[in-house]
Amino acid sequence: MSSVLFSDKMIDDRAAEWAVRLDLRPLGSLERAELDEWLSQDGRHVGALLRAQATLAYVDRAQPAAADIPVAQTDGDQPFGASRRRFLRLAGGGAMAAAAVLAVMILPRDDGQELSTGIGEVRRVSLADGSIAVLNTASRVAVSLRPTQRAIRLEQGEAWFQVAHDEARPFVVQAGTLRVRAVGTAFGVRRHEGGSELLVSEGVVEWWLEGQEANRRRLEAGDRTFVGTEPSLIREIVPVTSTDMEELQRGLAWRDGDIILKGETVDYAVAELNRYNRRRIVVTDPQIGRERLVGYFRTNDPANFARAVVQMTGARMSEDESEIRLTRQ
Amino acid sequence: MPTCRSDIIAWVGSSIVPHEGELRAWLRRRALPFQEIDDVVHDSYLRIAQLREVDHIHNGRAYLFTTARSVMLQRVRRERIVRIDSLTEVEALKLEDSNPGPERYVGARLELERIQRLLASLPDRCREVFRLRRIEGISQREIAERMGLSEHIVEAQAVRGLKLLMNAIREEEGRGQHHQGAQGEQRSVFRQNDR
Repeated sequence: MSSVLFSDKMIDDRAAEWAVRLDLRPLGSLERAELDEWLSQDGRHVGALLRAQATLAYVDRAQPAAADIPVAQTDGDQPFGASRRRFLRLAGGGAMAAAAVLAVMILPRDDGQELSTGIGEVRRVSLADGSIAVLNTASRVAVSLRPTQRAIRLEQGEAWFQVAHDEARPFVVQAGTLRVRAVGTAFGVRRHEGGSELLVSEGVVEWWLEGQEANRRRLEAGDRTFVGTEPSLIREIVPVTSTDMEELQRGLAWRDGDIILKGETVDYAVAELNRYNRRRIVVTDPQIGRERLVGYFRTNDPANFARAVVQMTGARMSEDESEIRLTRQ
Repeated sequence: MPTCRSDIIAWVGSSIVPHEGELRAWLRRRALPFQEIDDVVHDSYLRIAQLREVDHIHNGRAYLFTTARSVMLQRVRRERIVRIDSLTEVEALKLEDSNPGPERYVGARLELERIQRLLASLPDRCREVFRLRRIEGISQREIAERMGLSEHIVEAQAVRGLKLLMNAIREEEGRGQHHQGAQGEQRSVFRQNDR
């Protein structure tokens, strides 16, 4: 807990440094890059910078009122606000110019960001609009934040999005022929061979197939669907049971590096785990592959999973650097 | 667009920052842990940073409270286990917000006194840098010359001053007259989600 406290205080301190630098002088290009990097790390950083900048502006705020209100003396030798009237005249100049410089710095940028993860990697990225993208293993996403639309292309793999509310700029995810539009909500998309899977964890999204925007369908929190590349392949698995958010959380457990099994087959679990690891599990016996499992596993620890299978099914395990084989006794 | 953004910063300074202490005090009385309060405040500012216009907002205080409420709701939703007490708090925040009451508005004089008090609490050198920059509106170089310091030290002093101000606002108990004696209240009541 104390580390969290510490980090919040650190955020505020960093924000104060940036707010002052932005106020005092133009940033060098290195500093500018450093600031951009810092802002893109965490939405809280954006909020903290605004807070720091606004606190500076807040100090100015007393000025106009000062003109006709007697001013309390400070403990220094100069009364605070001695030159307030002059300040008022100057305010349109330096202070405003400084504020304009600040303003440019925190405008969301659009530079066609490309995000990707390697095998076994899960990456959480704050986008410039305040949305959050979490990329699952071996995934690739292209982000383009345009003035009228936030266009996201899932080129490979799986990602979950927490969308910042902005009605003027719909957030549209493209995955193959699937299009999903959200305003302020959260959902996951996963590309499969022959289609994409869509899973809504908050709010409502609309989806359609490329070129068929008129034929939009809605999906609500707790819903999940598979959209094939051919319209005939569209299979709605909705609703899982619309109140069963637990089921949905299970589908998103990868964000924490977990996989939760509730009666799926060993074959299914192995296929899932192999998405995350270079060291693959190979099941040579079909009967073991059909066994069903319940449990909670780390996606990056295939050996642990294999040992659990051994315990439950009596399979035999042999391993080398590249493979873990599960065979019959 | 730059002008729009500077408008927003100025607006946040005049309409949101004055109420931050009150929001924090309110959250503290609800026995939220400190880091949670900080997160709610940062997330609220983040949402405000995303605004493209502020002209339509007439009541900054109500807007801040409403934003904080929606941030809290979202945080509650994200937790796997919904905390009943958190939801109750969120509801309470809504009530608070729906009834702002004119007596809550602090006059310009009180506001000025508050800023004076905040500034007066700064160490001398910080305060002088702040005065020259914010009140006289002169450049970093000129401040350095007048005070016989390096520009680097001017910057360091300004940073130090701003940190102290932000801290002071954070620690304030809020100015609402009905908000007395919040310190030391039932902080332990809040149940941590132990997942």
